[in-house]
Amino acid sequence: MKNVIELLKKAEGINGWRVTESATKSYELFFVHEALETVRSTDTVDTEVTVYVEHDGFLGDSGFNVYRSMTDEDIAKKIATAAKRAGLVYNQPYVLPEKAEFKAELKSDMNDIGNFADYAQKIADAVFNAKAPAGGSINALEVFVYKKTLHVINSNGLDKEQVGYSAFVEAIPTFTTEKLSVEIYESMRFTDLNAEKIAKEIAEKLADTKARYEAKKPTTPMTVNVLLRPHEIGQLMSDIAYDLNYTSVYMRANLRKVGEDIQEGGNGDKIDLTMCAVVEGSDASRYFDADGTKLTDTKLIEGGVVKANYGGHRFGQYLGVKEPSGNLPCKVLGKGTLTEKELEKEPYLECVALSGLQVDLYNDYIGGEIRTAYYCDGKKKTPVTGVTMSAKLSDVLKTMRLYDDCDVNGSYKGPTRMLMKNVTVL
Amino acid sequence: MFSTYLDGKRKDMKELVAELKKSFNYVSILGTDVSSTNYRADKRLTSAQDGSGECGFVIKMHDGKSFFEYSLDDVSGDKKALAEHIVSSVKTTPSLDKRMISVAALKDEPLKKDFVRETDFASYSDEYLLGLCKDLSAKICEKDEKVLNGMAMISTMLVSKLFITENRELSQHYGWAYGYLINVYNDGKLVQARDISGKDNLAALIVKLNAGVDKVVDLARHLVKAKPIVPGVYDVITDPSITGLIAHEAFGHGVEMDQFVKDRAMAKHCVGEYVASPIANMHDGAAATESVASYFFDDDGVLAHDTQIIKDGILVAGLSDLASATQLTTEPTGNGRRESFKRKAYSRMTNTFFTVGKDKLEDMIASVKHGYMLFETNNGMEDPKNWQIQCTAEYGIEIVDGKLTENYVSPVVMSGSVPELLKSISMVSDNFEVIGAGMCGKGYKEWVRVSDGGPNLKVRVKLG
Repeated sequence: MKNVIELLKKAEGINGWRVTESATKSYELFFVHEALETVRSTDTVDTEVTVYVEHDGFLGDSGFNVYRSMTDEDIAKKIATAAKRAGLVYNQPYVLPEKAEFKAELKSDMNDIGNFADYAQKIADAVFNAKAPAGGSINALEVFVYKKTLHVINSNGLDKEQVGYSAFVEAIPTFTTEKLSVEIYESMRFTDLNAEKIAKEIAEKLADTKARYEAKKPTTPMTVNVLLRPHEIGQLMSDIAYDLNYTSVYMRANLRKVGEDIQEGGNGDKIDLTMCAVVEGSDASRYFDADGTKLTDTKLIEGGVVKANYGGHRFGQYLGVKEPSGNLPCKVLGKGTLTEKELEKEPYLECVALSGLQVDLYNDYIGGEIRTAYYCDGKKKTPVTGVTMSAKLSDVLKTMRLYDDCDVNGSYKGPTRMLMKNVTVL
Repeated sequence: MFSTYLDGKRKDMKELVAELKKSFNYVSILGTDVSSTNYRADKRLTSAQDGSGECGFVIKMHDGKSFFEYSLDDVSGDKKALAEHIVSSVKTTPSLDKRMISVAALKDEPLKKDFVRETDFASYSDEYLLGLCKDLSAKICEKDEKVLNGMAMISTMLVSKLFITENRELSQHYGWAYGYLINVYNDGKLVQARDISGKDNLAALIVKLNAGVDKVVDLARHLVKAKPIVPGVYDVITDPSITGLIAHEAFGHGVEMDQFVKDRAMAKHCVGEYVASPIANMHDGAAATESVASYFFDDDGVLAHDTQIIKDGILVAGLSDLASATQLTTEPTGNGRRESFKRKAYSRMTNTFFTVGKDKLEDMIASVKHGYMLFETNNGMEDPKNWQIQCTAEYGIEIVDGKLTENYVSPVVMSGSVPELLKSISMVSDNFEVIGAGMCGKGYKEWVRVSDGGPNLKVRVKLG
C-alpha cells in the first residue's frame, strides 16, 4: 500500500483519493461424507483505489484495482487512466471522511490462536459429533476459518484498520434408508467457537431431515399461520432495510418514507429495527465501512414507523444528512410478545427449509417453496413437504408476531421465530 | 491480447511446479488476470471505473491420496522458500490426516496450446461508452413523465488465464460484454422494469440496448397494473429466459457430479432413465454454444466440452470437475470452475440450454385454454437431492382461449417436482436464444457467470 500512496501523492490532476486494502488469510476443509477430500489455504490482498477530480463545479470519481504483482509504472498508468475517467463524470460534490486514526481487533476467541488447522478441526469434530438418528449422517461439510484485515486510508489523513476473525460452516445433514435419501442445507457463521451449540444445531437439523423423509404433501390447500426461523426473518429485515438505504432514496427507488407506518392498522407485534455496527458473535460486525466512515447505530423503524434512513457518507451528504450513519452491516430486531404457549392456541406451519424466501416489496408479495415444515395443530407435529406459500406482504406486516427470545444468525440479531397470519399454502 | 503479466510469469510458474513436485505427485498452477470496466448513468449519477477483477494464482496439488490447494497473489521470488511455505500452509493436524480420502493419481497428459477470441472493446472509448449510457438513461426518462429514473449500464470483461503443470501449458484470452437498462416508474405503484443483455462484442450489445429502451418503458406501464397470480396449476408457455432457468435449476445443478461423489444428487441413480418428456433435449458446455461461459479450457486445465445431458427425455450424462471425475473414475467434462483464484474449483454449469423443437410459438399459445406465458428470470433454487424446484419469473401474461391478454401478473413463483415438470413438456418451439448475463451460486456462494436458454416450452406447473 505504501508505494500506491506515494504515487497518489505525486499524481497530477487529482484532488483526493481513497485506498481500501482487504487482506484475507484462510484455512479451509472440504469433507465428502466424513472423509477429508481437500485442504485449502489462502493468503491474498485486494487493494481498491478511488481518485477524485473536481471539475466544472462537479466531482468526478473513478476506481481501479491494484494487485501485488503491479509495478510502480503499472500503478501510475492506472492512476492516470482513473483521473481521466473521473474527468468524464459529473456528479454532485461531496466531501471525503475527515482525518481520523483508528486501529482495533473485533472480539473473537480466535484472536490468540496460532494454528487455524486446529481450530478448523475442532469445528469439524463438533459437526460430526452431533447426535444423529439411525439413518442420519453428514453427507458433506465445508469449514472456513478466516482472518480478515480491512485498512482504509484517504487523502484527508484518515487511517483506519480493523482485524476480524470468523468461521463459516456449510453442512448437509442427510437421512437415508434403502428406499430414499433426503437432505437439508445448514450453514453457520460465528466469531467464537461453541462446540456444544454447533453440535446441538446440527442434531436439530438431523432430526428435521428425518422429518423431511417422513413428510407428506397435504392433500388440500390451506390458509394457515406460518412460522419463520431466523435465517428467513433476517432476510425479510434486510429487504425492508435496503429500501431505507440513502442510495435507494437518492435513486428514487425507495418505497417507504420517514414517518410512514409500515404496519398501519395492524394489531400484531410492532417492528423495532436498528442497523448496528457491531453485534457480538456476528461475523458481519465492523467498526467502519469501506469509506472509513465511523458507523453510528441507527434506529430505522420504531413501533412500525420509519424513523430514519441509513447508508454511506456520499449518499447521506446528497440527502443533506449532517452525520451519515455509514453503511451499517448488522440488523437488530426488537423482541416481540409471542410465547410458545400462545403460539400453540391455533394451528400453524413451522418452516424448516425453504428453497428461498421470495420478498417483493414493489409487488407486496412474500412467499416461497417450502421443502420441509411441521404442521402443528396443538396436539402433534406432522412433517409436510411439496407445498408453496404466498401472501400479501402488507397483510403479513400488519399481523406479524415475534417471539420473546432473541439470538444471532449471521448479520441478524433478533427474535428466533416470526409468525405470519393467514398465509395461502398450496 | 493475452495478459503480458501472465506471459511474463510462465518461467516462475514452471519453476514453482518443479519445486512442489518434490513434495506432491501432481502440481498445477492456474494464473488469472481478469479485468472489467463498468460504465453507468442514471438521472442523477454517472460512473466509469474498473469493475470486479482478479489477478493471482491457485496451486492444486495431489499427494497420491488427497487434494490440496493454495491461493496467493504472486509466484515470484525464491521458489524453494515459497514451496516450503505452501507445504506448511496446507499442513493438517494428525487427526485430520487420518481422515483424508485416497483416490488415484491425477493424469497429466501433455498439451501445449494458446487460445484467443478477440473482442471489439478497444474500438470504443471511455467517452463513447459513458456517453451512450447517459443517452440511454435520458431516452428512458424522456419517454414518459411517470419515469422516476432511467438507468443504463455497460460492462466489459477481459479474461486471461494460464495453466501450467509438468506436461501441460495452456493459455486463453477472451472477453464478454453485458449491459442492462432499468426503468423506475411510478403510476400509483412503484415498479422497476429491466432489460438485461450479454454479447461477445460491444457492437451487438449496443444494438440490443438501444432496442431495449421502448421495451422497459412499455413493460413498466404494464407492471404497474400487474396483479398477484391466483395460486394454482396452469398450462404455461416459457420464454427462452425461463426455459433456461428450468434447464439450469432442474438438470444443471442436478447433474453437477461433485454432488454425485457426496451422494447429494438423485440423478446419480437415474442415468439411462426417462427424466423428461421424449421431446426434451438438453446440453451444457463451454463449447456447446458461444456465450458468457464459453472458455477454451476450465480452471482444472481440461479442454471445453459440449455435453448432452438429456437425450430424447433420457438422462445420459453429468458435468464434472477434475476432483469429482477422479473420484468417480470418469473423464472430466471441462466443468471445473472457480469463483476466482481465491476459491475452490467445483463442478459447475457453463452454457446450459434445451435444444430446439418443431412447434411454432403462435401454435403453442393457441393451444392454451387458460394459462400464462412467463418472462424473464428473477431467481431460482435447486434441490438436486430431492428434485424440487423453485423458479421466479419477473412477470407473466395471462393466456385466455389461445390468446395473450393484457393481464400481467408479477411476481410469479413456479415450483414443484423436477421430473413432473420436465415430463409435462408437451411442445417445444423452433426458435432459440441463450441469454448470457447470468450469475450462478452453488448453494448460497461460489458465484460464476453462466448463460442459459433454449426455445419456448409448453409445460404444466404450479404457480404461486
